[in-house]
Amino acid sequence: MQLDLSVLAPHAGFLWRGAILTAEVCGLAILGSVVLGALVAIARTASSRWLRGLAAVYVDLFRNVPFLVQLFFFYYGLPELGIYIDAFTTGVLALSIAGGAYASDAIRSGILAIDPGIIEAAEVSGLSRRVIFTRIVLPIALRTSIRPLGSVLINMILTSSILSAITLNELTGSGRIVASDTFRPFEVYAVLLVAYAALTWTVSLAVNLLHRRMNRGITQAVA
Amino acid sequence: MLAIEKVRKVFGATTVLDGVELVVEPGEVVSILGSSGSGKSTLIRCINGLERLDGGRITVDGFNVSKPRELAEARKRSGTVFQLFNLYPHMTAVGNVMLAPVEVLKLPKKEAEARARRILDSVGLGPRADAYPAQLSGGQRQRVGLARALAMEPRYLLLDEVTSALDPEMTAEVLGILAELARSGTTMLFVTHEIEFARRISNRIVFLDGGRLVVDLPTAAFFSAAGGMAHPRIAQFLSKMQKD
Ligand SMILES: Nc1ncnc2c1ncn2[C@@H]1O[C@H](COP(=O)(O)OP(=O)(O)OP(=O)(O)O)[C@@H](O)[C@H]1O
Ligand SMILES: [Mg+2]
Repeated sequence: MQLDLSVLAPHAGFLWRGAILTAEVCGLAILGSVVLGALVAIARTASSRWLRGLAAVYVDLFRNVPFLVQLFFFYYGLPELGIYIDAFTTGVLALSIAGGAYASDAIRSGILAIDPGIIEAAEVSGLSRRVIFTRIVLPIALRTSIRPLGSVLINMILTSSILSAITLNELTGSGRIVASDTFRPFEVYAVLLVAYAALTWTVSLAVNLLHRRMNRGITQAVA
Repeated sequence: MLAIEKVRKVFGATTVLDGVELVVEPGEVVSILGSSGSGKSTLIRCINGLERLDGGRITVDGFNVSKPRELAEARKRSGTVFQLFNLYPHMTAVGNVMLAPVEVLKLPKKEAEARARRILDSVGLGPRADAYPAQLSGGQRQRVGLARALAMEPRYLLLDEVTSALDPEMTAEVLGILAELARSGTTMLFVTHEIEFARRISNRIVFLDGGRLVVDLPTAAFFSAAGGMAHPRIAQFLSKMQKD
């Protein structure tokens, strides 16, 4: 068996579109899960017991149910209730909701690690709760949670391959089609391996850059 | 006027503040002395609304800190400097100082930054204005903490052992600035273990003992044999502090 990529040439455009679709879905879901994760992290550290409970239920639910089941529920289950969402939107939503549960964990532990004195200083200076959260709590929490958050996001990219199960021809879905058309699974999946690695590598590079930027000022030596 | 009336605070079964009465008029420097655990920090935290009162009333220029609607106004009128600085670690010195003026006083960014740099300059940190807290020495950090409070132009400055985390040299740095502020008429409520310094800058000294405010005297009277020293607890406290 020899790797002969030329057999894939006629299908390159199709695979490329699949890769773009994966990137789009993941890009949106990264945004969605970080925003959702931040909101849920607020709820989980809120003073209202009711809010904390609700957030805990959400996190437990979506972490303890297989992603495929969640996906099928949204795509095949909800139409029974008259709720129809297309495959692309379902994919983004499902990934955001599942990713949000994990992201909230990472962000929450970052919030809990903040020295309460810092927040008290902000309170007594008269800053509103919203400003305290967006300008102080979140940026400080993200400094420590950006790396764990990065692993969550990379996991999400890997999980996105499951979206082929709801007819979304993202990278894995297109790969399977091309593999069965050409009978060249070796070449096809070799390409997919490289493509996913490139995608996750890009994200981890971005996370590293962000980490360095956010931790500017504490990584340097003390004067 | 900062008015503390019959203030009571309990933590669980322990009464930490018990009927505390104290009035600070604009322009006064009042030092709070007392041994560890006597309730000094708790009193400061009641004034700036970090602790809820269990009795009595605190008003800052008439605004009651126990009323959520008035607390914001009360907080605009007082500034707190903390023992452990509590700087925002992700912001530079200027960023720390200008945040509240922009967000609370709604100053335009440029104006707030100019004010922040001017104040940092006045505490000797002009050249370090763009450094992050982790890049500053303890004394420099506390001067940023002071500048952050001053940038809000508070009527009352609340200081809770602002030098006790600093070595003697850095302590001198910070006390020098406080003395300057006292001379220029800044109103201060000053919790400290620096007895000599308190004696030098205060108009009045109050002594807390087990949550009770046992004396409230003009500085000279506090240190006189017939005044504060007539109280065995105060005499004991002062002789112990002077030994250290
Ligand atoms: N959050 C809290 N929960 C329970 N007890 C508390 C709390 N904060 C303070 N206390 C108790 O209240 C008492 C007064 O504490 P406070 O910190 O006001 O003393 P202090 O006079 O500032 O002492 P120090 O000189 O050591 O700073 C202490 O007995 C302390 O243990
Ligand atoms: Mg104290």
